[in-house]
Amino acid sequence: MKHLPHYVSLIAIFLAGLVGFYVFSYDKYFRVGIAVALSASYVTWGVIHHASHKDICWTVIFEYIAVSILGLIMVLTLIFRA
Amino acid sequence: MEKLIHLFIPRQSNNHKAKILHSSSLIVIASFFVVFQALINFLPRFGPNILGYASQISPDEVTRLTNQKRAEAGLSALTYNQTLAGAAYTKGRDMIDRDYWAHTAPDGTQPWKFFTDFGYRYKYAGENLARDFSSAQATVDAWMNSPTHRDNILNSKYKEIGIGVTEGDLAGIDTTIVVQFFGATYQDKVSEPVAQVQQVKTPVPTLAPTIVPVTTNLPQVQAEITSPQPNQQVLISPFNTTRFASIAVVLLLLFVFVLDAFLVSRRRIIRVAGRTFAHVAFLGMILTVILILRSGKIL
Repeated sequence: MKHLPHYVSLIAIFLAGLVGFYVFSYDKYFRVGIAVALSASYVTWGVIHHASHKDICWTVIFEYIAVSILGLIMVLTLIFRA
Repeated sequence: MEKLIHLFIPRQSNNHKAKILHSSSLIVIASFFVVFQALINFLPRFGPNILGYASQISPDEVTRLTNQKRAEAGLSALTYNQTLAGAAYTKGRDMIDRDYWAHTAPDGTQPWKFFTDFGYRYKYAGENLARDFSSAQATVDAWMNSPTHRDNILNSKYKEIGIGVTEGDLAGIDTTIVVQFFGATYQDKVSEPVAQVQQVKTPVPTLAPTIVPVTTNLPQVQAEITSPQPNQQVLISPFNTTRFASIAVVLLLLFVFVLDAFLVSRRRIIRVAGRTFAHVAFLGMILTVILILRSGKIL
């Protein structure tokens, strides 16, 4: 519960991204921008969260980067394939 | 079996974290996706033509849905014009034959040339393009979601419509192209002006559109567009295959993340790792995005 604001902000970022994907369905490059921004936000959130929790290390940062790269590649391939 | 446990269950051999959740494994999965997309891109060059988008789009249905949208906006219905339909179909064939996807052909040919080639002396003209949609409803919905295309559909200056649906190989992938031509001739009475309309081409007052001699066999084109042939050779849809693979990977990772967190919590293992809740939320969002995305491009 101590980091509840962190999780609320994370969910808010994701929801804003989803709304953007839905509303700007006609604009491929805007969607690409949203996807990149979401992935970058996710990694940034991870760094800030773990830094404030005082358990940040490169292993954790790489984990967030790896998850975000995988998610970004899946979304980008579908955007350009659509 | 031992390898599967190593892959999916946290234990000492994988440093108490399912191997598939390690950063290196996630990067390997991401690399597989890149290679998979490269294979889909190069397959048509070396193998049989098995990639494509199956669709059944009727020009009449596109016209009906377009007029339905206009009626909802309080506008008069567009009259279906066979000459415009022939011009639209020829534009679609031109894109297939010369392998381009654009309003303007690589040699600079404007869409309005197809109007004049067919002897359609336009006062106002507009063009909407779509490809790879599975139905007429999805096509019209995509146009309506785009402000510029919606302006074309809901433009009171247009009086007539022609739809061309054509199939063929575009960049190695079997594609269905829908060309929507709007027009109004000098004989048509335009009832109300529109303040801001995009993609509407009005001729320069001093330069009336030049009527180029008709070079296309119009009756033959009309016969073709009234009986579109559904594609029977499509085996693999690049979009649906990629989508299916993405959904499968995300669901698998979500399951393993939850299982991993449950086992680690129950065994009271202390380890250095990211937050499972954050990863699950991120992948849940990715899954939703994948489900939102639909095949089809508009121009």
